[in-house]
Amino acid sequence: MSRFLFPRWSNAFLPLVILLGAIAPLYVGLFVAYGFSPKTLEAGYMPTQPVPYSHAVHAGKLGMDCRYCHTSVEKASFAAVPATQTCMNCHTQIHRESPKLEKVRSSYETGMPIEWVKVHKLADYAYFNHSAHVVRGVGCVECHGRIDQMTVVYRVAPLSMGWCLECHRNPTDRIRPPSMVTQMAWDQNKEMTQAQRVELQNLNNIHPNDNCSTCHR
Amino acid sequence: MPRIFIFVGLILLLCLLLPPAIIARVRSTPNSNLPIHIIQDMAFQSKYKTQAVNPMFADGNTMRPPVTNAVARGETYLDAHLYDGVIDGQWANVLPSQIKMDFATLRRGQERFNIYCSVCHGISGGGNGIVNQRAMELVANTNGPVNGTVWVQAKNLVHDELVTVQPMGQVFNTITYGIRNMAGYGSQVPTEDRWAIAAYVKALQRSQIAQPSDVPAGTKVADHISPSPATTAVHNVASKGATIPASNSLTNPATSMLEGKL
Repeated sequence: MSRFLFPRWSNAFLPLVILLGAIAPLYVGLFVAYGFSPKTLEAGYMPTQPVPYSHAVHAGKLGMDCRYCHTSVEKASFAAVPATQTCMNCHTQIHRESPKLEKVRSSYETGMPIEWVKVHKLADYAYFNHSAHVVRGVGCVECHGRIDQMTVVYRVAPLSMGWCLECHRNPTDRIRPPSMVTQMAWDQNKEMTQAQRVELQNLNNIHPNDNCSTCHR
Repeated sequence: MPRIFIFVGLILLLCLLLPPAIIARVRSTPNSNLPIHIIQDMAFQSKYKTQAVNPMFADGNTMRPPVTNAVARGETYLDAHLYDGVIDGQWANVLPSQIKMDFATLRRGQERFNIYCSVCHGISGGGNGIVNQRAMELVANTNGPVNGTVWVQAKNLVHDELVTVQPMGQVFNTITYGIRNMAGYGSQVPTEDRWAIAAYVKALQRSQIAQPSDVPAGTKVADHISPSPATTAVHNVASKGATIPASNSLTNPATSMLEGKL
């Protein structure tokens, strides 16, 4: 049996293999960095809710304040999903026969809660407190994006630790007067000068911690 | 070189473009796929958090209502003035002793009014809030009311004499328990805030019959109007360390009067 010899044209593969070998680490590196980042894997979560409630209509078009429904946000760690009663403040009269509101009406009659799907689910080892942020002037829009323009709410932020720390280490540009927290269209970086933001930060004494036990208790 | 090698090589190279394309798409388009949490550690622990679903109870709620007839400490609701706006069977005309009538209370009332009441009654209390406008539109639809909408024009709180003659306690009672088509806000707004709103409603009403003589001598309305909410906020924090006004409060008819009067 004669020995196998690579044909002469296979020599062309050598530079090609070297080239690929040089690019491969870069490619794999970028793939891991972007593909496995929480911005890819976790942000953009837009679940289908049991009732097609539109924030774009209520918070956007009607301009209702976030706190009309999320009443607990200034006092508690969580921004409560409202009771069915809150929907029915208006919907006993407005669109009272709409098929879209069927589940709201039956919840109102039976007392069984509507099973809304949680969009912003934080890891259980991270302790986040809404009131601490909202009362000090971190606007809703900083983390939740333009909810007032979303027909179906989705997660804008990755809610990763690096993302939290971005702000905890440099809060100046992300805080606003506490009276403006729910104003989604208002932007402190347009309406206030750098000097005003620094002044506000000092006046409200905003110097967030960035040590482990601040959030991991 | 055989053609097949060149084809296969090119196809493999093209395949390398797929992952970046998929990543770019996932990053740019919201979708209903569950978030993928690669390093689990203790991210999802076997505990029930606020408002979570709980299979142990028939209604599926983790958060339990108090047992029937249970009374929490301090929640006896026996103080008729504080909780119902009534003193000795008559509507109260003053705030209960637990709440001070001062500028901070009125500011708080203004902020809360703008959140919970203005949607129907309007920022100035005139009865034409945005929900009221929308409901009227739906009722006036040419093909009949949309989805069976029925609506009674929201009350004008500052001009309708049915409302303006009401003592503060009655206003508080209406906010708490509702009236006619209006639902009660007792569960949505804490007691102190409901009193603050009632006080603010009285101030709004008062502002509608204000006279030039109500303004202290030497004070001009313009003194109280500031250019932007940002500067006002900074100014307010500096001077009072107290509640900061809502953005639209500066042009509110009641504001200038409050500054001088209360």
